[in-house]
Amino acid sequence: MKLEHVSKSFGATIAVDDVSLTVEAGEIVGLVGENGAGKTTLMRIIAGELEPNRGMVTLDGSVGFVHQHFLLVSEFTIAENLRLALGREVQFDRPQRLIRDLSVGEKAKVELMKAIAPKPRLLILDEPTSVLTPAETSELFQTIERLAHDGTSVLLISHKIAEVLAVATRTVVMRRGRIVADGKNMSADDLATAMVGVRGAPPTPAAPRKTPARSAALHFQNLTVSPGEIVAIIGVAGNGQTELATTLRDTLPRRTTAHIPEDRARDGIIAELSVADNLALGAKTSARTLIERFDIRTESPQQRAGSLSGGNQQKVLLARELDRRPEIIVAAEPTRGLDIEATQFVHAQMRASADDGGAIVLITSDLDEAFALADAIHVIYRGNLSDRLSPADAATNAGRLMAGLQ
Amino acid sequence: MRRLFIGAAAAVGAVAILALSGMAFGHPPGELLRILLVGSIGSPFALQATLIKTVPLLLTGLSVVIAFRAGVWNIGAEGQFIVGALASFLVARFGLMAALLASIVAGAIWASIASLLRFWRGAPEVLTTILLNFIGFHLLGYAVNGPLQEARGQYPQSEVVPPKAVLPAIDGIHAGLLVAVILAIAAWVMLYRTEEGLRLRATGFNPRAARWAGVNVNAQIARAMAISGAIAGLAGGIELLGVTHRLFERFAAGYGYSGIAVALLAQLHPLAAVLSAFFFGALTTGAGELQRSANISATIATFGQAVVILTVIAFGAFHARD
Amino acid sequence: MHAIDSLLLAIAASTPLLLAVEGEVIVQRSGIINLGIEGMMLAAAMAAALTHSFLGGIIGAAAMAAIFGVFAIILRADQIVAGTAINLLALGVTGSLYREMQDAFARPVARLAHDLVVPAAWIVAPIGLAALLWRTMFGLRLRACGENPEAVGRSVAMYRWVALAIETVLVGVAGAHLALVLSSGFAENMTAGRGFIALSIVIFGRWKIKGALLGTALFGIAAAAQYALQASGIGLPFHLLLAVPYVATLLILCGITGRVRAPEALGRA
Repeated sequence: MKLEHVSKSFGATIAVDDVSLTVEAGEIVGLVGENGAGKTTLMRIIAGELEPNRGMVTLDGSVGFVHQHFLLVSEFTIAENLRLALGREVQFDRPQRLIRDLSVGEKAKVELMKAIAPKPRLLILDEPTSVLTPAETSELFQTIERLAHDGTSVLLISHKIAEVLAVATRTVVMRRGRIVADGKNMSADDLATAMVGVRGAPPTPAAPRKTPARSAALHFQNLTVSPGEIVAIIGVAGNGQTELATTLRDTLPRRTTAHIPEDRARDGIIAELSVADNLALGAKTSARTLIERFDIRTESPQQRAGSLSGGNQQKVLLARELDRRPEIIVAAEPTRGLDIEATQFVHAQMRASADDGGAIVLITSDLDEAFALADAIHVIYRGNLSDRLSPADAATNAGRLMAGLQ
Repeated sequence: MRRLFIGAAAAVGAVAILALSGMAFGHPPGELLRILLVGSIGSPFALQATLIKTVPLLLTGLSVVIAFRAGVWNIGAEGQFIVGALASFLVARFGLMAALLASIVAGAIWASIASLLRFWRGAPEVLTTILLNFIGFHLLGYAVNGPLQEARGQYPQSEVVPPKAVLPAIDGIHAGLLVAVILAIAAWVMLYRTEEGLRLRATGFNPRAARWAGVNVNAQIARAMAISGAIAGLAGGIELLGVTHRLFERFAAGYGYSGIAVALLAQLHPLAAVLSAFFFGALTTGAGELQRSANISATIATFGQAVVILTVIAFGAFHARD
Repeated sequence: MHAIDSLLLAIAASTPLLLAVEGEVIVQRSGIINLGIEGMMLAAAMAAALTHSFLGGIIGAAAMAAIFGVFAIILRADQIVAGTAINLLALGVTGSLYREMQDAFARPVARLAHDLVVPAAWIVAPIGLAALLWRTMFGLRLRACGENPEAVGRSVAMYRWVALAIETVLVGVAGAHLALVLSSGFAENMTAGRGFIALSIVIFGRWKIKGALLGTALFGIAAAAQYALQASGIGLPFHLLLAVPYVATLLILCGITGRVRAPEALGRA
């Protein structure tokens, strides 16, 4: 597969900027980069889903694409989904099962089968391990290595540097639509630096907080959070985090609880309403004051909230929820898709709320974030919470607990 | 600004298509347009007729605006209109205020049947409100052919309402016009200047996000339906007490469905609904004149409503694809 | 004997309704909600009465379907509003034409004596449509359009147009049957809400052909009860009896035990 000076823009946004890349048979290329670097767009161009504005794509055979968000029909069986995608019958374990009854890992296997059954020359995988347990991940890597050995080229997109290094024969780094690094023996540090452009700052250690012993503000199953505490719930995506957040939303009293939903664009911000209107849904303070206080970058309070950047939308959500000085805060994936600056802002807000006496539940799949902020950690697996762990305990056992062992 | 353009384009488009289709039956379009214009606003008498028609259109239009803004498919304004009028008639002996109040309550209740079925059994209100229209229509038929029929039993119509329940009028235009315009302003204030209105709009745009923001979406929808039904019921009451003064079989005359056209042309803005209702009032009156002088069926106005709706959503569709 | 006869008669009389339900099941399975079948049937009835043919009925339905398709499939406009507009359109056009062409309608329309439509609608169509939906590749793709169009790819619009075309034929025949067999010509508003009743039965039948048959049969019996009651002289006055079918439909909508699951992508632009 060869790309020559490929570029792609969506309106004013340049997604892919003059990219040239060659992939040989049998190579496993790891493509890393931050959110928004252009990885998915580039892959979609290679797979033929998008037309580049400039440049040429040369393929020597067919392309298989495993999407990050599965293109499966939940109501159909495995067999029907495979028949739909491939036009013929394919072997699969117990194919009469309905997709909606499968675990996330099993769905991933079906999605993978869709891509590799036609025996493509090039296989692209977009963030395949984001929903897999460590065991499933190594199973996947074995499959990839087998395919590469048989002559298939593999392009693996991931933002997890460690995993990419474990399986890739070559790594390519993208930042802001361009390829900034391409080599065979890069170290984790090299990759991290190339990804963000500067040496990443080490996560700020949680400053020890003096919390007077007070009765718990929140008590839910085996989850207990006291005022001033931050408790993180970690786990592989798809293990019940959304259900937990929803249940908490429906059971806790609205007046004293704040919720930051996981999908900020769909469930958090109401895109059609103005920034001021969005704020007014939860906050009493005037929009202008809140915009200033939370440093929300917007042309005016009347601007449509949907046109704000992700980071600013999150600030609007925080302003809306925190203005009430809630006793309990449930935040799900609050820094997903945000750049460093916005992430640090969110973390600072959460610490400030905790210092102010708030009890915070942080649901996140970002382990660094969890360890940087939390006083205690639970692991969620298949809807069940583990026992409460100290950060030290969690650091040792998280991997096993996330996979459902122990 | 863009929305103003869409509204104007839709209105002009509808009239143009109407005029052109008249050609199919041998009527020159220019002639048709002249008759439409003169017949609707070309004389004090025509203007009066137009204004009288504007009232129920504005009210049913507002009813639909509120419902659609909340994301609820209230297609039942027709039935709520009828039930409102029926209730008004029954209470008319207690005076004007009581009668109007009855129409409001009856309309709210009729609409709330659909809400109830939605929350209790998951029945989609888009269908239940329509079915309730048919039921209301036959309820009216039963009433004016049976218990409420005029004493001499000649026509399927009721007695005239007692004078104490008649809406006062100036120059042939009844007070309902004032009520309707005030209600339009009130609706605007409610939607854009109150918390309830904000929650309602939030629910309509994105019920999931509204729920996360702490809005009780189900209660919000129920309230919106009730308010919507109340206004449509009031429309029926006012039409009875201000215009027809008695009930008869074809009392509603499609005002409920026309309200949808009014609301969409106004792009769900309560103040624009005033202009929109006037436009459709003029169209209906003008179409009546078309029937008298050119023998073109007055149902051409319904056709015009459909064209307006389609034009408006065509633009909306392009917008959604941006 | 007498009871069974009336039962069968009631079921036969619901044939236009059944055809509409069958058509709408196909269309909704492809992800489109067509509220405009009422208007389609009305237009079909008028066109059939004018041309005295079933083909005319199909053409009448096709005219409405084409407009709806443009708005719902190509322009991706709001389907509920587009469907409502189609109903108003059909109402306006048929109303105007009816008065405009009084003389054309004054000609008495001979009622067709024999009728292939009933067995076709109750036996042939269900078998064919069910097979199409559940046993063919085409049907699989069509159903996927209604569940997760992204999984189908680029030809989603094509499947939806085909579904609409199938519905057009069925509803065209339904309207023609209504005007030419069950009545003697066109009358204003003669569809009397059958389209909306059909939409309700689609939900009751859980978007299945079997459900369509069952739901329509049940409804037909309930509606026929209205006439039986009238004939036997029991209480309910004529006009209230007219409301019985709609009340029955409301009950049908309520009789959905447990949450029904519509095709996932139904109504989505």
